[in-house]
Amino acid sequence: MKKDLLVLAFIILLISILVSGTKIQSVDEYYLTHIDDITEDSETVTISIRCDTILDNWDKLSPELKSEKYVPKDGVILKKTEYVLRSGDTVFDILDRAVRHNRIQMEFQGADKNSYDSVYIKGINFLYEFSCGPLSGWMYSVNGKFPDYGVNKYKLKDGDVIEFNYTCNLGRDLGHSFK
Amino acid sequence: MKSFSSFHPTILFLYYLLVIFISMFTMNPVILGCSLVGSILFFSMMNSPRAILKDIIYYFLVFILIAITNPIFSHNGETVLFFLNDKPVTVEAIIYGIAIGTMLIAVIFWSKSYSQVMTSDKFVYLFGRAIPKLSLVLSMALRFIPMFKEQIKKVNQVQKTLGLYSSDSITDRVLSGIRVLNSVLTWSLENAINQADSMKSRGYGLKGRTNFSLFKFDKRDMTILIAIILISVIVVLGFAFNIFEFYYYPAISILKLSRVGILEYIFIFILMILPFIIEVKENIHWKLLRSKI
Repeated sequence: MKKDLLVLAFIILLISILVSGTKIQSVDEYYLTHIDDITEDSETVTISIRCDTILDNWDKLSPELKSEKYVPKDGVILKKTEYVLRSGDTVFDILDRAVRHNRIQMEFQGADKNSYDSVYIKGINFLYEFSCGPLSGWMYSVNGKFPDYGVNKYKLKDGDVIEFNYTCNLGRDLGHSFK
Repeated sequence: MKSFSSFHPTILFLYYLLVIFISMFTMNPVILGCSLVGSILFFSMMNSPRAILKDIIYYFLVFILIAITNPIFSHNGETVLFFLNDKPVTVEAIIYGIAIGTMLIAVIFWSKSYSQVMTSDKFVYLFGRAIPKLSLVLSMALRFIPMFKEQIKKVNQVQKTLGLYSSDSITDRVLSGIRVLNSVLTWSLENAINQADSMKSRGYGLKGRTNFSLFKFDKRDMTILIAIILISVIVVLGFAFNIFEFYYYPAISILKLSRVGILEYIFIFILMILPFIIEVKENIHWKLLRSKI
């Protein structure tokens, strides 16, 4: 009886691995990304990733993250960088390309994993949601505006400026307020 | 054989409460390791080698299951081994899984020896006066599963001897299982009502009712109580001063091994291994006495 349950658990684990697919990549393969060269007539967007608010809320940060490795002194994880916009690119595509290109750790919840059909960014550079108090997490803005939907739903235009900011107070410290 | 269980129920309860709480609320690998070693050693003092081996193999497999399941769901961690479906599988997540597995199995083994040491009469003795209803319900609930298993076995055997459902076909076995479960469920409901009624008719929980018990709090109990309280104060102080602080994500932290830290770990080890030491001491004592005859 007990053994049967254990065998069942192993089988379920195996099936769930097989069903979800087994694409195995080495670390270098994963970070190998093709970045288009910027030419005269190519459409581009800029992206930056910052965590300035943590520096103001240092005492709320989880102790294991209190290191310059995770929170840079100037709060800049990725400085303003220009990337070529391919047709149909969303904010998520650009972010994914940028972090892979710069080998920045990023974890997200896929669009198929929640009921909103939208990708949720859980953590960038080991700074996760709730790492700096219960109201903390990542927010994004395009041209200074905070969209109220997921990163994979925002279709970009030429010249858009994307900013990813870490908030410690539900976006209020970034100048955003929910209506 | 069971010298630890001859201590006063208060001490046994206090000890188990302390040990299980410490194991459950820390992720420090040294404490978890001590807890696992202590629980398995003590459990192995009270059971036959075959039963122990069977249990250890079974729980080792459970342990492996947990250790491989964690990295599939947890992707935090600096040291990436490879990417599975674009999600990193990290060393930190595997080690965290191992730590969770250790904790779980340590607590399971503590609970196993708890149910052998703290029998329901001891539990009712401790809490029968203060919370009569709850302690009766608890002792009945804890007793329910072993009794249920025993009864299923009995009814099953009776069915077999009657010649019913004795073929090997799966439908037959399922049908017999349903029938047996059905009868045992009704039996257990009836049994619970009977038990409650008989306790009530004896005046259980009434004011002024006295209880007879053979538990006496003697000198031996007092020494062990003082030892447990002393160690627990030291350990709690260690928690308060963050000596046992340990992180797995994003990178595994280094174990702080100051002089005080080592002393704290030694105290934890003594606490975890205390019942085992008592058993061994008693066994040696017994052998010595026998050799003198």
